[in-house]
Amino acid sequence: MDAKRNMAKEPQPREGGTRQMEGLGLESVIERAQAHDAEALGEIYRRYVRRVFGLCRYMLNSREGAEDATGEVFLKLQRSIESYDGSIPFPRWLLRVAGNQCIDTLRRRQRGLKVFAEVEDGAAVLEAASSEPSPLGAVISTQERSQVRDTIARLPENYRVPLLLRYYGDLSYDEIAHELGVEKNYVAALIFRAKQELRRRLAPRSK
Amino acid sequence: MECYSEQTCALAVDGELAADEAQRLRDHLATCRRCRELVDALRAENHVLSESLHELPEEAASPEGFFHRRRSWVWGDLAVMASVLALGSISSIWFNDLNIPAALEWFNPFSASGRTNLIFSLFDHFASGGTAMLTDYAAVVGFLSLLLLVGGIALLLGRGRLRQPGLRLLIVLLALSLPSFALEKRHGEFVTVAANETVDDTLVAAGNTVRMDGVVNGDLLAFGRTVEVRGTVKGDLLSFAKRTVVSGNVEGRIYTFSESLDLDGQLAHSLYGFAQSLRVNDRGHVGEGVVAAAGDFSLEGEVKRSVDLLTSGNADVSGSIGRDLTTSGVSLTLTNTARVGGNLSARVRQLKDVHIADGATIAGKRDIQVHVRKSQFTRPRFYFHQAVWFAAAMLVGWLGLLLFPGFFRATTQAVGSGWLSLALGVGILAGVPVALIVIAITLIGLPISLMLFAVYLAALYLAKIWVGAFLGRLLLKPSGATKGDWMLGLLVGLLILTIVGFIPYLGGLVRLGVVCLGLGAFAGQLYRASRPVITA
Repeated sequence: MDAKRNMAKEPQPREGGTRQMEGLGLESVIERAQAHDAEALGEIYRRYVRRVFGLCRYMLNSREGAEDATGEVFLKLQRSIESYDGSIPFPRWLLRVAGNQCIDTLRRRQRGLKVFAEVEDGAAVLEAASSEPSPLGAVISTQERSQVRDTIARLPENYRVPLLLRYYGDLSYDEIAHELGVEKNYVAALIFRAKQELRRRLAPRSK
Repeated sequence: MECYSEQTCALAVDGELAADEAQRLRDHLATCRRCRELVDALRAENHVLSESLHELPEEAASPEGFFHRRRSWVWGDLAVMASVLALGSISSIWFNDLNIPAALEWFNPFSASGRTNLIFSLFDHFASGGTAMLTDYAAVVGFLSLLLLVGGIALLLGRGRLRQPGLRLLIVLLALSLPSFALEKRHGEFVTVAANETVDDTLVAAGNTVRMDGVVNGDLLAFGRTVEVRGTVKGDLLSFAKRTVVSGNVEGRIYTFSESLDLDGQLAHSLYGFAQSLRVNDRGHVGEGVVAAAGDFSLEGEVKRSVDLLTSGNADVSGSIGRDLTTSGVSLTLTNTARVGGNLSARVRQLKDVHIADGATIAGKRDIQVHVRKSQFTRPRFYFHQAVWFAAAMLVGWLGLLLFPGFFRATTQAVGSGWLSLALGVGILAGVPVALIVIAITLIGLPISLMLFAVYLAALYLAKIWVGAFLGRLLLKPSGATKGDWMLGLLVGLLILTIVGFIPYLGGLVRLGVVCLGLGAFAGQLYRASRPVITA
């Protein structure tokens, strides 16, 4: 009973870190961070480093790259947090920043090749894709999660990145389109194709 | 009513359907089982996707784990760096002792030309792998590398007879690097200035290939694998490239750091170069002088004034030099067509490496010196230098004891933690320069980086004093701890370190070890001192 009451009182007890920050609500931590309070920035780091790292890890497909990108995101956060205006939830905003960082990294890896900038008519892509038969969620939902994860990690970049931004970062199609610098239609098409490709790869071999 | 497509349903599930259409779909779902099942399946699929993704890969399981791995990665890297350092120092001793055939000298990373080659290869690698990586920071990093290189060059030049021009070059470059932020910048794989194009400002161009066919009214600062100047530069040309070819006109000066420089065109003023291969071809014309440190130098064209050279290979002259030719290198060849309007002074290792054709014209005196490297121990100047060095070190030690008695003594004692200090020191020795570059290009900026660099240099110098003091106390085991006892310990310790430092093979390693130990002790003590004191 005691335990239950405690659970209700303390939303999410965290381990380690500075004591006085721990109890503070996210809003006041962000406010302090915006006033360049190093402790508050540290607290944000402690709370979100995992999620940011996770996104970078998936998007970049490399641990070292993800560590660098994560470091970069939090380093830049010292300045960029000033521009956070509370219009979207902070985690989503932060993941957007992280996504942006990763996209930059991916673009640099491609050395000037514009990964997502192919000008394709989103609607046409959707039409083309729709003619393929799809095994739907039935297949995917029975898979082991680790297998799903591994398969996502092996998807080509242009499928993987929008998929991750949508289902890990919870970004809207519009936001993803903005990050990638493409049309919203094209994002929809990429996500749709990504899922189809995922299903295809996850489908049991019919031999 | 007709059923909805899978894409529309997917959009609806993702909440991306326009409100009215979403409402229509909802209405349809109420009546159509097939579509309802489709939407449910898609929703389940999304759920599986987010759930699977939110279970993070093992290494990201906790921030603690993240840090842990990060640290082990750092240690691994440090270990690699340490072994590279150790191997490097051993092989450098071995390499220097070998008699390497002249033809392979350029390949020896421990010779002057080998070093230039290595620097350019490294820079090239850095540039080709990282141009994109550094788009925003390219100019800053470029200049930083430039400054570092200039420092190195100044050292190289300082050893030869070209001290004055070298310093001049250094100062000019430093001055050039300052206003670099208000320039026209162009980046890209392939940066061109078209033949009909005129750039009014100073142009900074960085790319794999930089080709300038037009006119630059200011200076041209070019960084790239290949830099070709076929048009006109009204100001100075500063090129930092693997290969630089100037076939157009440069109305100012040329400063080049290239693996190779070919001058086929007209240069109104002087050429200052640091290159593996530097050639002034038969159509090349230099309005003033040439000051260069080069692997090989060849002159087929014309230089109106003097040529000062420091080569690690051959100097071939078949063109004309208006005034003096001063060279120091392995060999010198003047062909029949060569013309020197002033004096010829050359410093070579062997007389047989000087070939002056009978037809060559030398208006002034010929002064050819054979420079044999004598053992440093036979020169009195060496002992004088050592005495000065020693006195300076004692003075610094005394000042340290006087000004920061507690810190100085604690650091000396920290040397006793042995391997820990050594490992820390190796890390700092290798890591600090990297960190300084990172600081310089990120948030806090150049001034702090420069200040830290000064601290780093000071610590490098102080390292041997702490180790010396520690060694002295270890041997003497003085009963007291007065200033006199400490100074005596320092004297004995420094004396031993100095003498051991001159033992062939071992000496280099000992010196490296001493620097690492001292640095580690210093850093450790700095860390301890910066922490709040718990007990009085």
